[in-house]
Amino acid sequence: MEDKQGPPGEPRPHRWQMVIDLDRCTGCEACVVACHAENNIRLSGPREAAEGRAINWIRIERYWEGEYPDVKARFMPVLCQHCADAPCEPVCPVYASYHTPEGLNAQVYNRCIGVRYCGNNCPYTARQFNWFDPQWDPPLEQQLNPDVTVRQNGIMEKCTFCVQRIRQGKEQAEREGRPVRDGDITPACVQSCPTTALVFGDGNDPNSRVAIMAKSGRGFHLLESLGTHPAITYLKRLDE
Amino acid sequence: MDVKRRTFLHALGLTAAGTLLPGCDKEIRRLVPYILPDDEIVPGVADWYASTCGECDAGCGIIVKVMEGRAKKIEGNPLHPVNQGKLCAQGQAALQRLYNPDRLQGPLRRTGAQAEHRFTPVSWDEGLPELADRIRHTKGPVIMISRPLSGTLADVVSHFIESVKGSLYFYDPSPELPLRAAVRQAFGIRDLPAYDMAEADYVLSFGAPFLEQWLSPVSFGIAFGRMRQGRKNRRGHFVHIEPRLSLTAASADRWLPIRPGMEGLLALGIGHLLLSDHRSSLPAGRLPAYESLYGGVSLDDVAKHTDISQADIKGLAKSFAEADCPLAIGGGTACAHTNAFESHLAILGLNSIVGNINRPGGIRRYQSAGLATHPKVPWLSERRIKELAQALEETDQRPLLLLYDCNPLFSAPPTVPIQRLFDHASYIASFSGSLDESTVTADLILPDHHRLETWGDHVIGEASPHRAASLVQPVVVPLFDTRGLGDTMIDLTRRLDGSHSGPDSFPQLIKDRWQRFHTSHSSRAHEPFQSVWEDLLQQGGLWESTVTEQRLHLSSSAANYQPPQFDGEAVDFPLYFYPYPAPSLGQGRGANLPWLQELPDTMTSAVWGSWIEINPATAQAMGIQQGELVRIHSRHGSVDAPAVHYPGLRPDVIAMPIGQGHTDYGRYAARRGANPMTILAPLFDKKSGALAIGATMVRAEPLHVPGHLILLEKPGTTAGGGSDLISIERPRSSNART
Ligand code: SF4
Ligand code: SF4
Repeated sequence: MEDKQGPPGEPRPHRWQMVIDLDRCTGCEACVVACHAENNIRLSGPREAAEGRAINWIRIERYWEGEYPDVKARFMPVLCQHCADAPCEPVCPVYASYHTPEGLNAQVYNRCIGVRYCGNNCPYTARQFNWFDPQWDPPLEQQLNPDVTVRQNGIMEKCTFCVQRIRQGKEQAEREGRPVRDGDITPACVQSCPTTALVFGDGNDPNSRVAIMAKSGRGFHLLESLGTHPAITYLKRLDE
Repeated sequence: MDVKRRTFLHALGLTAAGTLLPGCDKEIRRLVPYILPDDEIVPGVADWYASTCGECDAGCGIIVKVMEGRAKKIEGNPLHPVNQGKLCAQGQAALQRLYNPDRLQGPLRRTGAQAEHRFTPVSWDEGLPELADRIRHTKGPVIMISRPLSGTLADVVSHFIESVKGSLYFYDPSPELPLRAAVRQAFGIRDLPAYDMAEADYVLSFGAPFLEQWLSPVSFGIAFGRMRQGRKNRRGHFVHIEPRLSLTAASADRWLPIRPGMEGLLALGIGHLLLSDHRSSLPAGRLPAYESLYGGVSLDDVAKHTDISQADIKGLAKSFAEADCPLAIGGGTACAHTNAFESHLAILGLNSIVGNINRPGGIRRYQSAGLATHPKVPWLSERRIKELAQALEETDQRPLLLLYDCNPLFSAPPTVPIQRLFDHASYIASFSGSLDESTVTADLILPDHHRLETWGDHVIGEASPHRAASLVQPVVVPLFDTRGLGDTMIDLTRRLDGSHSGPDSFPQLIKDRWQRFHTSHSSRAHEPFQSVWEDLLQQGGLWESTVTEQRLHLSSSAANYQPPQFDGEAVDFPLYFYPYPAPSLGQGRGANLPWLQELPDTMTSAVWGSWIEINPATAQAMGIQQGELVRIHSRHGSVDAPAVHYPGLRPDVIAMPIGQGHTDYGRYAARRGANPMTILAPLFDKKSGALAIGATMVRAEPLHVPGHLILLEKPGTTAGGGSDLISIERPRSSNART
């Protein structure tokens, strides 16, 4: 896979990327709960879930192939692809959806006015809208992570690559007077994944696991033809 | 200690509290050995504590992020030998058990009739003497039913039960008893051995749900990832045999839908071919025993009864024989029938024929850490429930029942008859932390702390190549007026024997035992124990990788194959019923945690409810629409649930997840979905007495009304693929660069 270089000019210290190995993912969804715990993702409850309003920043899509008895099921973890050319960014009238210098597609919650153009324009359905205020039955709210904003009604939200964990990892490295090491920073989903199907790191570091794995012959991008240039490379499952 | 403290902290990306260099303005993460007093808590700074997960019995090591005295997140302990930093969905959701709005907040005494479910709070000073008094004066036997316990708590509880001349049973809804019984007969050992899956290159699974909530889910997940992509130029192959394409089967290279109950017969067929057509590595002297086990079947019969073609059976035998490290593993559906014990003997024997016992990639066994001393506690199999109930009724003895953290009234079928055991009790006391279906029948509830509020330890058994024991420690101050079960037991023992000897407190007992353990085991035995203890707490336990492998010998695999029995005549009940544990709800224990209720079932994307699965062709023939309510009848009752058209299921099987259908157990669980266990027949695996949960035949009746089915996936992606995201992968796979 061709490494896409950023715009010339300013050197960029980090470019956060992920690799998802479909030959390892077993669909266990440890990553989904990890994401909920880390990112204060609200509970929707059965009624809102039935309306299609449940929020998951990462989901495991399951595809059936073939017919009984020659049937197969495949899994694909899908989250925001942090596209370098993100279709959600230009359509936002208030610049709530923007690209950070480190390659993250970010959402500024207090700019968002809830027009949902970005959600409609995301080909990966990675963005989700808060149709109501979140609510936790006490004392469940004691678990909420103070490092992450709780999103209110009328706001668009999505995976941030656990930007708070990236920030903490960088601060920790800085305090210790050293550069960030490969593997220091893991988003919650990556941290939990038992099979190590998810790998995260700095694509600008040619020796990082993520940079090496992204060059695998098994690599591909979701909906590559759209030219979104995602920061996530998938490695295809080997079962033929 | 195996691991140097500094390396350990480094691996965690943490700093130890108090070891910061001057001049550093703000710590971000620090690992602290003990729960901090209020004046040492720094606002906005996360303290991390090591402990052990208690959501299942695997004993994964955890580190818990605590800010301002509240637990925020649980992650895997990176250096723990079982889970190596990883954690499953259930383990992470333990936070919602801690902060569950329906947790019991203190001791309760029942007021009014049992069916009314009315309780009033009492103090510990009332509750404890009352229970001691009841035990002192009971005429019937004391019976304690507990979830499986480990380490010091297991000792304390068994000593207590011994002191009152009672019986202690471990109860778990799916302890895989037929597998345990077969391992015991085949190898003469009591614990399950290790399956070295990471090093295997051909895994043949007979229903073993090792990528679901089975035995030690995280360690199997890690091993699976390595087996697939962790070795250079060596990708392990995986074939799964089960009537349903389960979550585990979905990761297989090949799924073979076998007829229910025929797993053992298929293993015999494969063994037969291994012995006749392939070279066996067995010494000549031992061949006859195997020939008598595997020799008696004909391939024709095997193919006919298993519904797997001769060509496929030959292919399996060939691949198994030719693999460098083949591994045959049975569980799940292979434990679900009346012939399960014999099936497992046949499956285990395949490993011996190809000589992969005590070898990398095979079945192995290690020496475990000798921290605990309690005698082996018997399992409460469903057949034992039945025998107990009958014996007590016949002798007209009214038992005093003690319950801890298990829910047999929900998970054992009414036909067993668990209810009669409860009805016959003179008095019931529970130490569980929530009002589940079993605890709600109690006269007195003395609730335990949550795992994150209490002390304990966990001994890792013979399946681990580490001699390891991990520690449980409180990471938050108890939220409510609860008490650790260990302390409750010590208190009761004291009240009953009237003495003041024995340990002061459970935490002190833990520390004393670890001190003894440490002195006899550690290279740091000469150091003062207090500093060692702090290191142990900070690390989360003790583990040494220098452990000797124990030799395993297949001693006796003699067993005559038995065909499975089923309950229900084919004319009235033409379909096999196949209840399986919902991967996210862990047999129903997880149903009170909203994260798990809202976690989409990976195979169906269903949330917050029950469903039945039916092959689309069967559904079409019967006119059953997706989402339509269906009533499933057996000879013992009926359950209603909406239908999901499930392409990966035999046309003669109806599958249904276990976990929902609670009548109690808090706001998130109660009155949601249906419990398939309620219609099961009382048939058992003959040897182990475990309920044969796959032995009930049923009939499906469409009710022509929509059921309450909530699927998160968009319509159109259910059958036949057809999604943009995956179709991108398909064409590329043919011309992928290597
Ligand atoms: S945790 Fe890993 S293996 Fe499990 S579903 Fe997520 S990506 Fe897949
Ligand atoms: S497998 Fe999951 S529930 Fe069991 S101990 Fe490990 S993390 Fe906890």
